[in-house]
Amino acid sequence: MSGPHDRQSIEITRRQVLEAGTIVTMSGMLPVAAEAQTSSSQLPPENGSTVQVSFQINGQPSTLEIDARASLLDMLRERLGLVGAKKGCDHGQCGACTVHIDGRRVASCLTVAAKVDGRKVTTIEGIGSADALHPMQQAFIDHDALQCGYCTPGQIMAAIACVKEGHASTPEDIREYMSGNICRCGAYVGIVASIEQAAPQIERG
Amino acid sequence: MTQKRTVDRPRIDAHEKVLGRALYAADQPIPGLLHAMTVPATIVTGRIEAIDLTAAMNVQGVVRVFTHEDFSQIKTTPASRGAYGQPGKGYQPMTGPVVRHRGEPVVLVVAETLEAAIEGAEAVKVRYADEAFSAAMEDDRAGREPEPESELSTGDAEAAFASANHRIDVEYLHPQQHHNPIELISTTAAFEDGELRIYEGTQAAAAFAGGLAGMMGLDPTQLRGVSPYTGGGFGQKNGIQEQSVLVASAAALLNRPVKLVMPRNQLFHTASYRPRSRHRVRLGADEQGRLLAGLYETVQQNSRYDGFGCEHGANPPRMYGYGSWLGSDRVVRVDTQTPGHQRAPHEHPSSFATECAMDELAEAVGMDPVELRLANDTQNDPITGKPFSSRHLADCLRRGAKLVDWSRRMREPRALVAENGDLIGLGVACGSYKGSMTPAVTRLRLFASGRCEIATSGHEMGQGIRNVIAAELTDVLGIDPENLEIRIGDTGHAPQHLTAGSWGTGSAAPAARSAAMKLREELGLLTGSALSEEPVHVQLARTRRPLLEVTVDTIPLGKDGQAIEQLRRGIPSTTGPEYPEFMAFSWIAHFAEVRVETSTGRVRVRRVVSVVDCGRVMNRRTAQSQVQGGVVWGIGAALREAGETDPRFGGVLNNDLAEYVLPVNADIGAIDVDFIDQPDFKLNISGVKGLGEVAMVGASAAVVNAVYNATGRRVRHLPIRIEDLL
Repeated sequence: MSGPHDRQSIEITRRQVLEAGTIVTMSGMLPVAAEAQTSSSQLPPENGSTVQVSFQINGQPSTLEIDARASLLDMLRERLGLVGAKKGCDHGQCGACTVHIDGRRVASCLTVAAKVDGRKVTTIEGIGSADALHPMQQAFIDHDALQCGYCTPGQIMAAIACVKEGHASTPEDIREYMSGNICRCGAYVGIVASIEQAAPQIERG
Repeated sequence: MTQKRTVDRPRIDAHEKVLGRALYAADQPIPGLLHAMTVPATIVTGRIEAIDLTAAMNVQGVVRVFTHEDFSQIKTTPASRGAYGQPGKGYQPMTGPVVRHRGEPVVLVVAETLEAAIEGAEAVKVRYADEAFSAAMEDDRAGREPEPESELSTGDAEAAFASANHRIDVEYLHPQQHHNPIELISTTAAFEDGELRIYEGTQAAAAFAGGLAGMMGLDPTQLRGVSPYTGGGFGQKNGIQEQSVLVASAAALLNRPVKLVMPRNQLFHTASYRPRSRHRVRLGADEQGRLLAGLYETVQQNSRYDGFGCEHGANPPRMYGYGSWLGSDRVVRVDTQTPGHQRAPHEHPSSFATECAMDELAEAVGMDPVELRLANDTQNDPITGKPFSSRHLADCLRRGAKLVDWSRRMREPRALVAENGDLIGLGVACGSYKGSMTPAVTRLRLFASGRCEIATSGHEMGQGIRNVIAAELTDVLGIDPENLEIRIGDTGHAPQHLTAGSWGTGSAAPAARSAAMKLREELGLLTGSALSEEPVHVQLARTRRPLLEVTVDTIPLGKDGQAIEQLRRGIPSTTGPEYPEFMAFSWIAHFAEVRVETSTGRVRVRRVVSVVDCGRVMNRRTAQSQVQGGVVWGIGAALREAGETDPRFGGVLNNDLAEYVLPVNADIGAIDVDFIDQPDFKLNISGVKGLGEVAMVGASAAVVNAVYNATGRRVRHLPIRIEDLL
C-alpha cells in the first residue's frame, strides 16, 4: 500500500539547479499563455473526457478542447491565460471570480466551462484598456475602492452589472446588490461611492 | 526640509489592479506548469498506517503522488510554520507517518491539469490509527503551561483594588477567528534562471529563500522568494506555510514547475488564525473615576507545538494612567493547528475586554465614558514610567465626540429611539498599537532620462506601501511617481524583512527618505550646487552621467549594525514599543452608532467615526482606506465572525465563506476617518508611527458598547448574535 513510484532524494546540487535552468530556457520557447489562445493545439493534452467549446471571449472568437469538468474560472485562468478573474473560494461564496456571460454576472467558479458554448464571455480584461478605462474602473481609482486589489476585478464586473440591472439608484440598493462580493480589506465605503459616481455614465441593460 | 503633510494621491498600483493586470502568485504565466492538490487528514491525532495510491496513480494526467515517505528528509526549523523563530517548536506535516491536527496535508497529488489533480486527491485512501485528543482549552487533557507567558505590574494592585470605591470584576470571551484574505494561499515553485523561485503571496519573501533552504537542506542562494503583490495578508501570510516546502520539494523532485492553490476549506485548518482567549478584567476607581487599579488575567488556546506568544497584557496598562497594575498572560495547549498573528493579534481581543470593562466602570461611577477616559489620560507609561514619544489620544476623543455628535447620547440605555422604533446606541472605545521599525537596505537609482528605480524591503498587501515609498521620494527629490519603479517583496532585488506589526510605513518611509537624501547629497557634490530648482534628472544629465546610484542601510532607533546582518540572513529584527528614552504607540478613538431592531434583535452599525494619531500621514487617501478597513474588521469581529470547533471531533466546522460569516457591503454603513497628523520625529526622520493594526483596535468594543447603550444588554462574548439580544 505504498506508492509504486521511485523514491528520490530531495537534495539539489548546484549543478542540477543549473541544468534545470537550461531546461527552463528551452521551455521558454514554448507558447506563452496569451499566444496559446489562438493556437490551442500546442497546449498540453486535456485529461478525462473532453468537450469542444466555441465562444466569444472579450469580443474574440475562441474554440477549445477542454476537460468536461473544468469550471469557467479554471478555463479562463489556466487555459486562456486570462488571470484577471480570481479564485477566492471556488464555491460561489466570495465573488472574486465574477465575469459576464451575455452581459449577466456569474460566478465563473460555479459555471461549468462547457456551458459557455455559443455564448459571449466578458472578463475584466475586456471592459477597458490602459489608456481608456471603463468609467467603473476610473471610479474605483478615484474613490480608492480597493486595497490589495485581489477582489477588485470581481467587484468591478459585479458593479457594472449592478448598474445595468437597475440596482444602483440608492446606496442601500448598491450595498444589497454588491453583497455577493466580499472585500476582506474592507473597501466597501469606496465601492459604494464608486458605483454612485460611475452609474450615470453606464447604460442600463 | 519639512515634510509635506496630508498628501492625497491615487494608489500607485490602482491602475494595474482595476485592469486586472496585477499578477499575484497564482497568476504567473509559467510554461509546463503542473498542478497539485493536497489530501487533508480526517483525524485529529494519530498515525498513518497505510496509504493506498493505486487508484490515484491510475487517474489519467496524474504525474506523481507524494507521501511522507518522499518528504522525510525535510527538516523542521525555527522558520517552519508554527515555530515563530523558536528552535524545537513548529510542525511540518508530511515529514513522518503522523497526524497532529485535523486537516493537515497527508498526500500531495501532482498532475498535468488541475482537474486531474483533484480527481487524484479524491482517489487516495488513507488508513489511520487515531488517538485521544483535546480540541478545547476547557478539556481535561488540555495542557496548561505552568508559567505565564508574560507578566506586567506596578504598585500593589490587589490592595488598591480592594480599597477602591468603585470596582468592576468581569470576564470576557473572545472566539477563534480566521483571517480569510480573499487571495487563497498558493505556492508556485519553478526553476528559472538557475534558481528555484517560490511565488507565494506573502508578507515575508525572505522566508522563502533562507527559511525554505534550511528546511530543504539547500543553499539560500539557490532559492528566491517572489511576492510583488499579496492579495491580503492580515498576518496569515507572515511566514512559510504548511504547503510551501511540500510544493517546493515536489518541483525539485520532478524538475518541473508545480503550483498548488490550497482550497479555502483546507486553509481553515492549515493556515493560521486568531486563537480563542478568556480575559478577566478587574478595575478599581475612586469617586472621581480615577483608575486606582487594573488587574488583567488572560488565557489563550494554543497548539501543542507552536511558539506563538500571548501578549494580551502588553497594551492595556499603557492606555490610561493606572495607579497600579497587575497582569498575566497564560497559554493552554490543545490538539489543533498553530494559531498566529491576525490583524491586531492581541491588541484587538484585549481592547474588546478592557475597553468594554471601561464602559462598565463608567456606568458604575456614573460618568460619561468619554469623560472617564479623558480623566485618566496620561503622557507617561505607568509600567516603565517613560514618556510616550507622542500621544494625542485626548484630541482623538474630543474630535471624534464632536464629529459623531456625542452630546445626543443618553446615559440610560434604550432611551434613544429612531422614528421606525429601532433603538439607537452610541459607544466609544480607544486603542493603541506599538510604534515599531525594522532595518532596510535600499538601493536608489536615478537615470538622466528621468526614470527612477528603488529596491528596498517591504511587501504590498494592500496597505499602500508603494505610495509611502513614492511619497518620500517625491517629497525629497520631486520625482514624478509615474517615472518611478518600486521593487519590493522579492529577495532578488533587496533583502526583505517580514512586513507585519504595523512597521511597514515606519520602516519603508525612513528607508526611502534616507536614500533620497543621500542621492540629493551625491548629486549636489556632482553638480557643485547645493540646491537647484531644476528637476533632479535634468541636473544629473548636465553632469553627462547616465545614472546615479546610492545604497543606504537604515538602522532603526535603538539598534546597531547587527540589525542589517540579521536582515541579510532573513531573520526579523524589530524595535519598539520601548525605546531608550520613551515608549512609542499609535492611538485611536472609535465612536460607533448602532441601530437595533427591537423585534428581531438585528444590529446595524449605521456609522463609525474614527480619529487616529499615527504620526505623519503619508497619503491621506490610502491611510483613510486602511482605517476604514480596520473598522470593517472590528464590525466583523463584533457581530459576525467565529470559527466554530466541535470539541468531540476537532477542526473547524464552518470552514468556508458561507458559514464563516465575513462582513459584506450591506453590513457596513458610513465610516468617517480623521487624522491628528502630527509627525513624531522622535521615532524616525519621516515622523511616522504605524496605522494598519491600530485601525482595528477598540473598534469592536465601540460597537459592543453602543449595543449596550441601545439595549441595556452587556454581552461579554463575541460575536454578538441575535439570540443575545432577544
